[in-house]
Amino acid sequence: MDSDEEDFVFYGTPIEREEEVTSRKKKAVAEASGQLRTLPPWKQEVTDEEGRRRFHGAFSGGFSAGYYNTVGSKEGWTPQSFTSSRKNRAEIKRQSIYGFLDEDEKVELEDRSVGMSMQFDTFGFTAAELARKQADKEQQNRPSAIPGPVPDELVVPTTESIGVKLLLKMGWRHGRSIKDSNSDALYDTRREARKAFLALSSGNAPPQLGEGSTESSHDLPTDDDDQFSKSKPAYVLNPKQDMYGLGYDPFKNAPEFREKKRLRKSGNRGMDLHRPLSIKGKVAPGFGIGALEDLDAEDEDIYALGFDFEETHVHEIEEPSRPHVENILMLEGREHGVLPGFKAASKSDSISERFDPPEIPKGFVPQHKFPAPLEIGSKSADAPPPEVPPPENNNLKVLIEGVATLVARCGKLFEDLSRDKHRSNPLFAFLHGGDGCDFYARKLWEECQKRGNQTKLWEGKMFQNSHKMSAESRGKVLGEKALQKSTEDSSSMIASADAVNLQFNLSDTFIKPASFHEVLEIAKPFSDDPAKQKRFEQFLKEKYRGGLRSKDSGGASGMSEAARARERLEFEAAAMAIEKEKLDKESKATSQLLKDLTASAGLQFTTSGVGKAKVQQDEELIPKTMYPKREEFQWRPSPILCKRFDLTDPYMGKPPPAPRVRSKMDSLIFMPDSIKATNVEESAVTEGISSSAPKVHGKENGQEKTEQEVEEVEVEVVNVERPVDLYKAIFSDEEDDEEEIITEPNKIENPQKKIEAANTALNRLMAGDFLESLGKELGLAVPPDMPPSENKAVLKPAQNETFDANKANDENKRSVTQNAVSGILASQKIEEDRPSDLKMSEAEISEVDTHGNNSRITDDRSVGKVATEDRDENIPKHHKFSRSSSEEERNRRRSRSHRHKDSSSDSDTSDVSDDYHDRYNSSSKRKKNGSSREKSRSRKHSKHHKHKSRDSSTRSRRSSEKEREVTKRKKHEYKD
Amino acid sequence: MSKEDLPRKEANVLRGHEGAVLAARFNRNGEYCLSCGKDRTIRLWNPHRGLHIKTYKSHGREVRDVHVTPDNSKLCSCGGDRQVFYWDVATGRVIRKFRGHDSEVNAVKFNEYSSVVVSAGYDRSVRAWDCRSHSTEPIQIIDTFSDSVMSVCLTNTEIIAGSVDGTVRTFDIRIGREISDNLGQPVNCISLSNDANCILASCLDSTLRLLDRSSGELLQEYKGHTCKSFKMDCCLTNTDAYVTGGSEDGFIYFWDLVDASVISSFRAHVSVVTSVSYHPKENCMITASVDGTIRVWAS
Repeated sequence: MDSDEEDFVFYGTPIEREEEVTSRKKKAVAEASGQLRTLPPWKQEVTDEEGRRRFHGAFSGGFSAGYYNTVGSKEGWTPQSFTSSRKNRAEIKRQSIYGFLDEDEKVELEDRSVGMSMQFDTFGFTAAELARKQADKEQQNRPSAIPGPVPDELVVPTTESIGVKLLLKMGWRHGRSIKDSNSDALYDTRREARKAFLALSSGNAPPQLGEGSTESSHDLPTDDDDQFSKSKPAYVLNPKQDMYGLGYDPFKNAPEFREKKRLRKSGNRGMDLHRPLSIKGKVAPGFGIGALEDLDAEDEDIYALGFDFEETHVHEIEEPSRPHVENILMLEGREHGVLPGFKAASKSDSISERFDPPEIPKGFVPQHKFPAPLEIGSKSADAPPPEVPPPENNNLKVLIEGVATLVARCGKLFEDLSRDKHRSNPLFAFLHGGDGCDFYARKLWEECQKRGNQTKLWEGKMFQNSHKMSAESRGKVLGEKALQKSTEDSSSMIASADAVNLQFNLSDTFIKPASFHEVLEIAKPFSDDPAKQKRFEQFLKEKYRGGLRSKDSGGASGMSEAARARERLEFEAAAMAIEKEKLDKESKATSQLLKDLTASAGLQFTTSGVGKAKVQQDEELIPKTMYPKREEFQWRPSPILCKRFDLTDPYMGKPPPAPRVRSKMDSLIFMPDSIKATNVEESAVTEGISSSAPKVHGKENGQEKTEQEVEEVEVEVVNVERPVDLYKAIFSDEEDDEEEIITEPNKIENPQKKIEAANTALNRLMAGDFLESLGKELGLAVPPDMPPSENKAVLKPAQNETFDANKANDENKRSVTQNAVSGILASQKIEEDRPSDLKMSEAEISEVDTHGNNSRITDDRSVGKVATEDRDENIPKHHKFSRSSSEEERNRRRSRSHRHKDSSSDSDTSDVSDDYHDRYNSSSKRKKNGSSREKSRSRKHSKHHKHKSRDSSTRSRRSSEKEREVTKRKKHEYKD
Repeated sequence: MSKEDLPRKEANVLRGHEGAVLAARFNRNGEYCLSCGKDRTIRLWNPHRGLHIKTYKSHGREVRDVHVTPDNSKLCSCGGDRQVFYWDVATGRVIRKFRGHDSEVNAVKFNEYSSVVVSAGYDRSVRAWDCRSHSTEPIQIIDTFSDSVMSVCLTNTEIIAGSVDGTVRTFDIRIGREISDNLGQPVNCISLSNDANCILASCLDSTLRLLDRSSGELLQEYKGHTCKSFKMDCCLTNTDAYVTGGSEDGFIYFWDLVDASVISSFRAHVSVVTSVSYHPKENCMITASVDGTIRVWAS
């Protein structure tokens, strides 16, 4: 080499292969810096001093390879230890072709993988898949705004719009035009005609289905062909008709023979191939369709569909006029009864059993006849009664019109019926020749005329173009009554009369309008304002009918939304009053009330201007009487809030508040709460608690001071909700003690009571529930013969106002002391009274009950009876706060109690609705209310005491109270 | 304080807000006042000298209410951005943002110890936020209201809030009771009397109602002004002798507390008077209006 080189002269520098040099140099540098040493041994390369890979030579190996010149694995050539596949077969890895393929091969293979072709991709799955793949590819190409694969997974590209999907699901296919396949007018009329033909005209004989079907087999295919050729792209079915192997083309190398074969085949086709298919297009004679059955669109379509494929196929290959020819051919073949080239067998092996269509009785007329319209038709021929002016009374007029319409509609039968029904009703005097009889006759005649015309009209129509079957005409065939759109316009009150008519139309198919007439006869609360009265009647009708609420009758259309709502409320009230009136016959007060109501309210709507002002006045009036009203609920501050406010958590140590659960009884029984409550008390009394009552008072004498305290506390107990009681009683003795000391240090605790309370609280809860339900049941049987004033007083939860209750506290205090002074005598008197007086008022009962409570307190101390253990023990625990505050409140209140007295009656009424409203609220609210009710009861109780002890002095007061209660009751009735 | 001492003389006009001023409040000792408005800023003023001291900007939408702690160290504000902001007065930075209201926040107040911010929102809830911990979750959510809660007042033991559902609800933390006084008219604003025995509630039927808190009794109604659609403040004077409130026609009204007669009324602003705040000690009052000004009134 060296000697050779010496012989040549070199110009320039020899070009080295760049990458070689650079890589080598890099490597050398890297090695120098010790980079390579960090590599694992099998990756290190052995290089010569110039950085070239060292070549070992033929026998000692090639380039130095990884793993010390072995194969490129750690194990080198060491064989894997044998593992038996017997035990862990599942772990043996399945070899798949993908394991052996290169990437590009895989791609190729994937492309060839079997999927649904787009053509058959009805639901677009494959298309979606493809689109997704496409999107993936695109995604890889461009940088995404949101890094990571997540959005791609989330956002799947849609291939088709939802509209297309919907269409597909409805049976539309790609390439077809979006159009109802049967919407062709010609087709429609033909179909209609056929149906009419089947249903109506061939009444006396079984329909000639053969004709019909021939007809259809002629018509339908052509129609459908038209359709398809219009919109559908070539859709070629290539049925395999030879016996070669799949995909084998015998004419591959000789195409000229193929042509020949095809010609031959198409020549035969019409004859043999299409026979069985085309038969499908027909309806089997005698079966599947009856005289009154429709030929359903679905049926036809299904058959037609099967047909279409074949036809189009034929279409594609052969000349367009083919189907007709084919059909004719087919028919010919059918007439012979045999396939061409075959003969009919003289005796057939299998005779399929055939059933004749059912025998139709001789006298059968396939068309229903309805006596009523015919009757009307005959009636209408009568001479018209003379025109009579409508009666002045608008109500009567409307009523007459309504009845006339009904009678015209339903026939004479209805008239007889209603005549019987309302024999005694003066409003229906016109039915038996009374007032308005002539007008009624005229009206009836008019209606009949109208109906007669109508029936004639449609009968004529039916004969003329009997194929036209709309919903209307079908309804007529079936005897349904069409809704009348317009009545005569002779009456002055068109709109409302119309509405009434419509009402009748709607209702007469459903219920007898009896109940509403009853109401009508009484209900004339708005007689001074006929339009309003009309609306009211309308309202009543709707109310007693149920069903859809009409928007509003014509007269009220000018009213504002607010005015309408207001009127609505008024109507409700009036309706309620009327109902009440019906219930209890002593209705004078109510009707008077109703009069008052209408007198005051009736003016509101006469003119809009005046009405506005009135309304405003009214609005100002209402809040005064209703508001402000106070309610109290339990509320649980979070511990941390208490901490931040530097207060002790009132619920400290208590478990989280129980979810507001309504007992089943609450949701099922809707009764005035007061009834429930009083009954609870009543039953409580009858449970034998009263037996301990006399003792109490004995004790009371001595313990006047404490008794007073207890009594007072008892009044307050009621504020507390029961669940809290329970929790307190069970869980938190110590805390209660603490709180007690903090808030009311001067109060002496009675420790042994607590344990008792804990025991009893649970009992009481259970018993309480039971009693409540019992009370509810008893409430249904509240004796109605109580003196009304007393009864009402008890029924009212009215005195619930808090300040009322506070006042009651005052009185309570006083009365208790008085009671204590009067001593055993008075209390015993009460006890004596109780059993003897069967009609004892509820107030008395409750009074006794509160006595019972007192007695139980003392009882517990002395006797320690467990069963009658008292709920009042809990009181001090809960009421320390409110107590101290209420004490000073009371003092304050005394100073200005005169003011309260004035306002108390007002606030009472508000409380009624309050209570009412509350029943629908959560149970906790309810309970609270119940408690305030107790308050009111105790107040009553105190008053009663006064009444007993110094009867004469309180007499006058009592009577005034009664008066107030009467007024309250009135208001209450309003509200209900 | 006699009739003549009513602040009827305009002492200063504080200009600076762009657009309506929604609230103006004295601080505890009456030395400074804070205002907030539609321009998304809160401004601190010295009303007596007519000086603008500082602007607090961070709200994303209008600021509806602002309150400052008794020690003047922290602010809280709320507004259309559904957040309650807790500010440091001196640096003007937001210390914390309390998110949780589902809708605009109408009113906000500190409690006595500045440890809790109570906010009332359009989302029918009253929420209490803890300033001491780092939690931004409300420590209490009161959602018994059935309509937007417009105004909230705090005493040492109670949270009182007035709502468009017509109720003024008192939440007594000490005994865990909620007392609801239904006024039958949407309540716009409530304010406590200085002896804390009464609530003055501004209703949307253009009536101010004075309620006895212990009994829930309606003590008096004050009429004459217009208040039908705006959130407008009302308050009692520092001696509780008079009731004052703005009107939608830009007037300010003074009523006698007891006999409800209009003692005085005069035009203070060209547009709706959104807020009135009475000086805790002196006969001085600030009023804010939609016209973008805050006016200081002295006797």
